[in-house]
Amino acid sequence: MTAVAPPVADSELVTPPTGRAGRRRNPIGRLGQALVVVAAFLFFLMPLVAMARFSLQSVPTIRLNWSTLFEGWSISGVTKAFSSPQFWDALRMSVQLAVGTVALTLGLLLPTAIWVHLRLPRARAFIEFLTVLPYVIPAIALVAGIKVVQPHARWFLNSPYSLIPFYVILALPFTYRSIDAGLRALDLRTLVDASRSLGAGWGTTLVRALIPNLRTAIISSAFLTMAVVLGEYTMAQVLLRDTLPTFLQVFRGPEPRGSYGLALLMLLATTMLFAVLSVATRPRGRNKADKASTATIAAATDEPPRKPNP
Amino acid sequence: MTALVYTGVRKTFGSTVALEGLDLVIESGELISLLGPSGCGKTTALRICAGFERPDAGRVSVSGSDITDLPAHKRNMGMVFQSYSLFPNLTVQGNVEYGLRTRRLAKDDMRKRVGDMLDLVELSTQAKRYPHQLSGGQQQRVALARALAVQPEVLLLDEPLSALDAKVRTTLRDEIRRIQTELRITTLFVTHDQEEALGISDRVGVMSEGRLEQLGSPTDVYRRPSSAFVARFVGSMNELPATVAGPDALRVDDLVLPMSVGPAHRQGDVVRLLVRPEDLHLVDDGGLPGSVTSTTFQGASTTVTIRLDRLDRLVSLHTSGSEAAHVTPGDRVRVTVDAAHGLCESAGAPSPAVRDADDAA
Repeated sequence: MTAVAPPVADSELVTPPTGRAGRRRNPIGRLGQALVVVAAFLFFLMPLVAMARFSLQSVPTIRLNWSTLFEGWSISGVTKAFSSPQFWDALRMSVQLAVGTVALTLGLLLPTAIWVHLRLPRARAFIEFLTVLPYVIPAIALVAGIKVVQPHARWFLNSPYSLIPFYVILALPFTYRSIDAGLRALDLRTLVDASRSLGAGWGTTLVRALIPNLRTAIISSAFLTMAVVLGEYTMAQVLLRDTLPTFLQVFRGPEPRGSYGLALLMLLATTMLFAVLSVATRPRGRNKADKASTATIAAATDEPPRKPNP
Repeated sequence: MTALVYTGVRKTFGSTVALEGLDLVIESGELISLLGPSGCGKTTALRICAGFERPDAGRVSVSGSDITDLPAHKRNMGMVFQSYSLFPNLTVQGNVEYGLRTRRLAKDDMRKRVGDMLDLVELSTQAKRYPHQLSGGQQQRVALARALAVQPEVLLLDEPLSALDAKVRTTLRDEIRRIQTELRITTLFVTHDQEEALGISDRVGVMSEGRLEQLGSPTDVYRRPSSAFVARFVGSMNELPATVAGPDALRVDDLVLPMSVGPAHRQGDVVRLLVRPEDLHLVDDGGLPGSVTSTTFQGASTTVTIRLDRLDRLVSLHTSGSEAAHVTPGDRVRVTVDAAHGLCESAGAPSPAVRDADDAA
């Protein structure tokens, strides 16, 4: 269920708001909008509430109703998971995979996306299509392919870290979009030309002129990648890896309550991740601009009265 | 001393020829404008100098050394771009420092240089601001300071004023010229605005379809255009049908005008006479009769458009304020032509390039 989080968050992050919804002014329209929001909220919230009650209340499922709403809440199921050494191994593995995937994604994607924007702008639509493929092709199909070549590449596929390149591919639909949107917002050619004419080589240009201006895009693609890795089950399961999602599945046998409690916790963690993300990627310097009132005047009127120089 | 030399520089993009063998010599400390309609190759010439494009053939050298194969970041050029090119993540100071950091300048030298540059463009008080807090004109001044901070051998200006509004444009134009003269820096200025080019250049190069049509002082280019293209592109031109009446005379309708016609045309040839609006005058007697179709008040002068009766042709001329008060649309007037500065062109010669140029401008 954590795998549901990325696409939702993705659409919020990358696509700019269209501004259609807020335009209606009449009260009936407003009421309609409110109803839709409430309905959607309930639709998403009810399963979570049910899951929370199931996992955190030590009450038999059949007795879970209004009268038992405040009975027997405890987090013992989740703490049981914490006391299991397999949990910590799985967590460590998942975090390592997440970090590795983020590093590889950025290392490959940033130079590629910049190069495509600068040199092959006409190929952009095609590349975009390619990056969506992992979203269209189910992970089970990909892993079936991996299984076919496994006997020929055991030296690679036997390592638990061999999941990293596949996770890079799985996360592409989200990461590429995020980086692409960041690049579109820049006047890339001019920035690169300006940097190079000032004596900076490609490396310096990337580090000092481009990455700081792609900060938002980079952070969001990193967080999206982490969300994908922390929620991926199919590949890890088929390739017999012990990651957090596969641990949850195994743990569900002896401890169904604890397993769902943990799943809930992971969902909460991912949500927190995105909350942090939206704070971290807030455009810089805006607050300063608002405080310095002269600056806003400078931005509004084209040429402010110039102060004489001492 | 020569600072920048283009020798037979040629560049094509696919099937489009951007530069058709450009030869250009720029003296040290000189400001040369490349003027032309869009697509004439002027920006390509500039980008080749900056190292952003590689010429297909030909060489570029700066102060005697060949830089054709040098990558952009190893050339010592300062460039100001058409669009706002400041690094949005850096303050004004950070932007001006950028080129100095890549040159690993000592901290104190850097601080001093940045201070000097910001003084030069009169933005010392804005050092801590971010680009988005500055107006367009201020941003371009920072870009100029940033380009000059590295003490470049050549300053390249790629239509730096075209994104600004009219008033700021004039101020900044004069400021660029002031700074350029003060620092005596060799400058290549690319523009499609003839007023800009004529206003601040030592020499103007008019380009068309990848070729340098004429290179000369602003007065030369305006007063003695070497081709009909230059004549029409720089300033406005009136066209009158004429016949060659002799080696030193031209007949327009019933007026015989003294003018050195040149060896290309023989007596009796039908030609087109190109004359500037300021070479046409309103007179009380003689001249060509016509009626005023419109007047455009421009403050110091008024542009009057007149339809000539017998030639059935529109011409325009400038009148000064007091004279203009008497001229209103519909008035009957008489116009004389001073052909001494005019240009003669075969009537059969097509002028498609000029039409395109008019559209582009």
